[in-house]
Amino acid sequence: MVDIGQLKQILELVREHELSELELESEGVRLKVRKETLVAGGAAAPRAEPAAPPAGAVATGMAPAPPGAAPRAAEAQAAPEIELAVVKSPIVGTFYRAAEPGARNFVEIGSTVKKGDVLCIIEAMKLMNEIESEYDGEIANAYVENGQPVQYAERLFAIRTR
Amino acid sequence: MLFFPTAGSTNDVAAACVERWTEAGDADALEGLVVLADAQTAGRGRHGRVWQSPPGSGLYVSVLLTPWRARVDPARAATLVTLAAGVALAEGVEAATGLRADLKWPNDLLAGGRKLSGILAEASSSTGGRGAPGLDTVIVGFGINVHPAAFPAELADRATSIETELGRAVDRAPVLAAVLSSLAGRYEDLLAGRFDAILDAWRRRAPSAVGRRVRWTGPEGTREGVAAGIDDRGALLVRTAGGTERIVAGEVAWL
Repeated sequence: MVDIGQLKQILELVREHELSELELESEGVRLKVRKETLVAGGAAAPRAEPAAPPAGAVATGMAPAPPGAAPRAAEAQAAPEIELAVVKSPIVGTFYRAAEPGARNFVEIGSTVKKGDVLCIIEAMKLMNEIESEYDGEIANAYVENGQPVQYAERLFAIRTR
Repeated sequence: MLFFPTAGSTNDVAAACVERWTEAGDADALEGLVVLADAQTAGRGRHGRVWQSPPGSGLYVSVLLTPWRARVDPARAATLVTLAAGVALAEGVEAATGLRADLKWPNDLLAGGRKLSGILAEASSSTGGRGAPGLDTVIVGFGINVHPAAFPAELADRATSIETELGRAVDRAPVLAAVLSSLAGRYEDLLAGRFDAILDAWRRRAPSAVGRRVRWTGPEGTREGVAAGIDDRGALLVRTAGGTERIVAGEVAWL
């Protein structure tokens, strides 16, 4: 098996050399690392995104590889990304970035947030849930467009914590 | 219970109480808080819509609930809290006045197809949460039109009042007492896990939830189908050519 130290080294290499995909096979373990190109929503506004690694940029798939078995892609919160906190939806519902139509978004990419600040609203069964930040930091990414349905545990924002 | 002759919005007053008590470390003590106003200067509906709240005309109330405290399946209790509130309002109005109102998914009260009461429930959650995933206190705000003056004439084809429907004078106080009493009962159902009792009561009062054509806006744009009741989590089921859709949020129009 690959230990966590080796995994960190591999992820570091992927990042250092800006590889989009890396596949390794050794001693019955097949490891596939793929770097997703993340765009916040389809209609990503031409907002200047701070030059920083997008959250969850590295997805790893690791599985013992008996002949013929395809590696499973399991998402892992890779250790090198620990300074980025991913805010996930606590419920199923509809995602809103502003309190009402026409109002300013609660946060934008690059906004500074404090613990307790409202990031968005998720509506379910006509209950408007204000989702609050659990961190002090800066919004590094927004994954969902206004008005879109979200699933339980779907990623909403990445916050670069401080 | 807090009473104000005039408040901006009773939900905002309740939220301010939660904030203050949270800082003091004792927000749980606020369970059951009732905020009542004779008039609201900034009564709100969904998405910033105005809820007309002139003095002396209706009941403008917010109640603070903590459904994550449910003894059985807190997540489901939290999901059903707004349906339970709708049922409670319908039951309270009927108990106090004899007027039987229908429910429109998820929790509007209608009489003769016009709106008698609306609910705006608001919660603040950190994504960690406790009990139910992420849900902390829930503020259930509602407005009930008692006298016809509760809404302007231009809303007359869409809004109604208890007095308009009954054709006689109605006091607000007994309506408030009955509504709070039925809300306490339905909230206890939620906490005790008697979800079927809430769902059955909701279904009996919601004829439009089965067989009517509806239009809604979802991820694939605006679509139409035929309402097919609610599931055990309160989601509206809609049959379309492509199968049955499950709607938990957003704008649904009855055609």
